[in-house]
Amino acid sequence: MKTKLVLSFNPEASNLPITHNLIAEYGLLVNILRAEIDEVGGKMVIEISGDETNTKKGVEYLEKAGVGVRPLKEGVRRDDDICIDCGACISICPTNALSLDPKTRKVLFAEEKCVACGVCIDACPSRAMEILI
Amino acid sequence: MTKSKNPHGKEVQAKSFEHIRKKADDGEAVVMTAMEFKEFVESNGVKKAAKEVDIVTTGTFGAMCSSGAYFNLGHADPPIKIQRAWMDGIPAYAGMAAVDLYLGATELDESNNMLRGGAHVIEDLVKGRAVRLKATAYGTDCYPLKEIDTYVSLKTMNQAVMMNVRNAYQNYAAAANSSGKTLYTYMGKLLPELGNATYSSAGEISPLLNDPYYRTIGIGSRIFLGGGEGFVAWEGTQFNPGVARTPRGVPKRPAGTLAVMGDLNDMTPDFVKGLTFTRYGTTLGVGIGIPIPILDEDMASACAVTDDKIFTAIFDYAQQKRSKPVLKEVSYADLSSGEVSINGKSVPTSSLSSIYKARQITEILKKRILDGSFAITEPVQRLPLDKSVKTLEVRSEKEAME
Repeated sequence: MKTKLVLSFNPEASNLPITHNLIAEYGLLVNILRAEIDEVGGKMVIEISGDETNTKKGVEYLEKAGVGVRPLKEGVRRDDDICIDCGACISICPTNALSLDPKTRKVLFAEEKCVACGVCIDACPSRAMEILI
Repeated sequence: MTKSKNPHGKEVQAKSFEHIRKKADDGEAVVMTAMEFKEFVESNGVKKAAKEVDIVTTGTFGAMCSSGAYFNLGHADPPIKIQRAWMDGIPAYAGMAAVDLYLGATELDESNNMLRGGAHVIEDLVKGRAVRLKATAYGTDCYPLKEIDTYVSLKTMNQAVMMNVRNAYQNYAAAANSSGKTLYTYMGKLLPELGNATYSSAGEISPLLNDPYYRTIGIGSRIFLGGGEGFVAWEGTQFNPGVARTPRGVPKRPAGTLAVMGDLNDMTPDFVKGLTFTRYGTTLGVGIGIPIPILDEDMASACAVTDDKIFTAIFDYAQQKRSKPVLKEVSYADLSSGEVSINGKSVPTSSLSSIYKARQITEILKKRILDGSFAITEPVQRLPLDKSVKTLEVRSEKEAME
């Protein structure tokens, strides 16, 4: 199973080798989608792949280590009333979460593909995209 | 129907502007959107299309920089001859007369945060909102007031007129970036190492690409502007019809442009949008639609043009010069496929124009012509075919006069 998680760190937890441990101790595949960590802590968005038991154990390990863990449900939101369906966001989206409907030429947003990297936020001329994490 | 000779000396069936207009007035005109017309020509041929179709509606919606609006605010008591003015913090030009202002779409607020500009104030006014007006003056015997701080809206003003000096570009350059860093441009966010390419034209449904030699679109043409009605006022600035063209006459580079104007009171926020290009500034998203009467087979043939027959070049914006190197010549069919190949690399593409909205405009315009609420007009003067674009150089006073 694949799970996208938003991790929040305090300064102490920032120094833990958590990705190493998730891989080595729990046999999970870890894909770091976004990381912003500095001296006051930070946030990280990861996707972990593995079986259900190991995923659960991995999450428990993170929580015990003092890392805030919550599932990534909605990372980026689009305001459809503001979007003008131009397509400026499409070519910069690394996961093809944004695409053009070839028939209607409306811009489609597949939220399940979005990894909340935030590249689209400042590329949107009408400022329809908002990052929530 | 009259018989006339086309430029190749061939005798052709032709309909006059007046004839088509009368048919439209009588509710008998056959009107098609540009999309419908291209399909019709594909299945029925140009000859039949020229005979049976009277009007084709074209449209475009995109960032149109040389846009703005002028206002007459009405006189204060005591009166003020405004010298400096700000509308919601955005400076407006006051050098015309006492209470006439012009607000440009790309004017930024004085903190230069580059997120909000004149375009957003114009959108707010179209939405019916009030905007804060601050103005100062030096005071004269006839205009003693030296400052005013108030609110204005479309309801309080005498005139509020969109006046855009360069819109509806006939074709436009596409952009990519070969450098190692992201560039923020008026062509949007350009990722490093040719990470993406952007383009900005409604292509086959864009007005001037369907009338390449400006036979039907000219000064005085009534148009759809920002949801309301407007007129072509003049050739647009940087009008450059002499660029290289395809054998069918379609320009391969940015060519014609239009200066347009229309009443802000009739416009809708769907087609007047304040836009922000990060680290470039603001601009106005404008919707324009123009009906093209199918006068003869040449006109039908021009309106049959499709994206695979319209070409532009992708320029390298890494080069910060007036002349940028061409990375690749491409068609709009290539660009709208979602990716183009540059130097063997597959490069994803983004349109900055909204084809969705452009198509909406062609449909609205068709409806308006059919229900009699929009009358086509013959231009009172053709756009010039002999203009070219000059450059700005550092010159001496003498050189500037030569």
